[in-house]
Amino acid sequence: MEKLTRELLKKNSRESTGRAAGSYVKVGMSSCGIAAGAQKIFDLLKEEIGRAHPEVAVERCGCNGLCYAEPLVEVSIEGVPPVLYGQVTPDIAHRIVEEHLGDRRLLNDHIYAMAVKGTSAP
Amino acid sequence: MNRTIVLIKDTAGTGDATREAHAQWVKKLRDAGLDGTVQAVRAADLGIYNAGMAVKILPEGPCYVNVRSEDIDRIIETTLKQGTVIEELTRHTVVEQVRIVLRNCGKVDPENIDDYLGVGGYQGLSRCLFDLTPEQVIEEVKASGLRGRGGAGYPCWLKWSLARKAFGDEKYIVCNADEGDPGAYMDRSVLEGDPYAIIEGMTIIAYAVGAKKGMFYIRAEYPLAIKRIQLAIDKAYGVGLLGEKILGSEFSFDCEIRLGAGAFVCGEETALIASIEGRRGTPRPRPPYPSDYGLWGKPTVINNVETMANVSYLLLNGPGDFARMGTEKSKGTKVFALTGGVRNSGLVEIPMGTTLRSIVEGLGGGSADGKPIKAIQTGGPSGGMIPAEHFDTPVSYEHLQALGSIMGSGGMIALTENDCMVDIAKFYLGFCVDESCGKCSPCRIGGFQMLLLLEKIADGKGSQEDITSIRRLAVAMQKASLCGLGQSAPNPVLSTLQYFMKEIEEHVVEKKCRAGKCTSLLQYVINPQACKRCRLCVVNCPVNAITGDRQVGYTVGQNVCIKCGKCYEVCKFEAVDRR
Repeated sequence: MEKLTRELLKKNSRESTGRAAGSYVKVGMSSCGIAAGAQKIFDLLKEEIGRAHPEVAVERCGCNGLCYAEPLVEVSIEGVPPVLYGQVTPDIAHRIVEEHLGDRRLLNDHIYAMAVKGTSAP
Repeated sequence: MNRTIVLIKDTAGTGDATREAHAQWVKKLRDAGLDGTVQAVRAADLGIYNAGMAVKILPEGPCYVNVRSEDIDRIIETTLKQGTVIEELTRHTVVEQVRIVLRNCGKVDPENIDDYLGVGGYQGLSRCLFDLTPEQVIEEVKASGLRGRGGAGYPCWLKWSLARKAFGDEKYIVCNADEGDPGAYMDRSVLEGDPYAIIEGMTIIAYAVGAKKGMFYIRAEYPLAIKRIQLAIDKAYGVGLLGEKILGSEFSFDCEIRLGAGAFVCGEETALIASIEGRRGTPRPRPPYPSDYGLWGKPTVINNVETMANVSYLLLNGPGDFARMGTEKSKGTKVFALTGGVRNSGLVEIPMGTTLRSIVEGLGGGSADGKPIKAIQTGGPSGGMIPAEHFDTPVSYEHLQALGSIMGSGGMIALTENDCMVDIAKFYLGFCVDESCGKCSPCRIGGFQMLLLLEKIADGKGSQEDITSIRRLAVAMQKASLCGLGQSAPNPVLSTLQYFMKEIEEHVVEKKCRAGKCTSLLQYVINPQACKRCRLCVVNCPVNAITGDRQVGYTVGQNVCIKCGKCYEVCKFEAVDRR
């Protein structure tokens, strides 16, 4: 692996920021999320999205603090405001792929929207 | 085309109201010809409680509360079509989280260093190494007012400058990740969610202090945290963010993990050092402090996980915003693990100075089952119970200490009418008795004797003299114990005595436990008038204590009964009395 220098680090920061703007689905995968079944959701999303929407990146992230609402899935696709789904079951995950990613219609009754300063979640 | 989302949620409680409002919205949006660009969605939770119908417009639109159905047209016309905010419906936020420590948790992939670099990671370290002298780094942290987040709140800059000035060229940095308070898991979340921020913070401290070697002391019960920190260390070595000549500068720093074997006392800094050195994890008297005589006898800085995550933020963004938040002596934010009887348990990060009430009722959503919250426990086994009349106290090191509790590492447990204060005090003291290392007698013997007295009270055999003895033991432990564990172990008991004397006296005088937790003071009795002889209690009793038949009725055999309360729970006719 190439060793980073100060200049490379600056460049790297800009490049990565550009990439993060694309469409993504993030699953909270800390102990609390995994305990609530996030691994299963992650695998399911990875498989279904990989098949139906390969342009959407499925990523894992840490716990965002809403432990009571785990497993958490953040969905951000172009043209639709990013939202956070909570207490996601395999069934809901399946519907996220079909309705949110497919028809660009958000799911009723599963969105958690807390006001938090300084995070990407709404 | 960009889509607008209208999130709807009835925050007053009844589920059907949200559905009705949603149906109205869908119809009105269609009538207004907006259904192609605006979608109305029922939300599960908006983080708003008891404020009628709440409507939140995404992205970045306003949030309206107490919206009546006649307001819908106005919102569609004014806000959605013209983009103007309706002032009188706007919610004025009472309490809002500000995320510094948790800034990347739930945002970056903890196993991918590029994600962290993408959000400005390691820019702070780069600034330190190339633009600032170690003294300037310490000055910046001094200007921010950052204090140790492990509980005691010692000013970070002071600790570092003492270690910097200490004699010797070999110095160590230790990250204390031996989080052991019951109900606290802030550090675990940061370790698992944003490991690079901690490693960067540690490297910055090493630069400021002049250390070449760092260690993570992580408890072995956190396997995922260990895995992710190890992965992060390996990757940081791979790209030259650890090891020789970091980022091409003259500064070198090595870092490794040591595992804690699960002793609570090893969170105490001198015991932690002993444990890393391979000795038995027991504390020693201070001074000398670790900043002079620490790991292997060398000057050592020990900071908590949360402190280190703050440091990487501070050196990237400067001390300004951080120092503007908080009270006079406590700056910045604090992460709390909010648990217990609240509706939303989880992690909250709030600016210092936020009141306890707004944390529990605003962010926690109030009581989960509607029973009033009577106390908040902060600081785990070293902290105390804060009663409802003090809920308007701002959170800061000083304010909590004045109430007989401590900030601690950040556990916050809401206690409701379902919790018995004697039982809770017994639990925390029992925890400290279990975890006492046994080196000094005030803690080893005093704690055990105090626990026996508490058990006596919980069994309904206590007397007024026992309460006096508890007080005497508590003072002795506080004054004579060797380390923080013993000195602070009586805090939960003392604060119970201070604020909940009435409940203790009920146990002692009336032999009653109002929460129904102290099983020795309880009796389950079947009321023959109310009993419909359905046998549900008989079937559910795990020890077959309920005897009788459909003709004569049923009775609980008190000498067999284990007081599990199952019969009380299952009875549909409220025929089982708990007294």
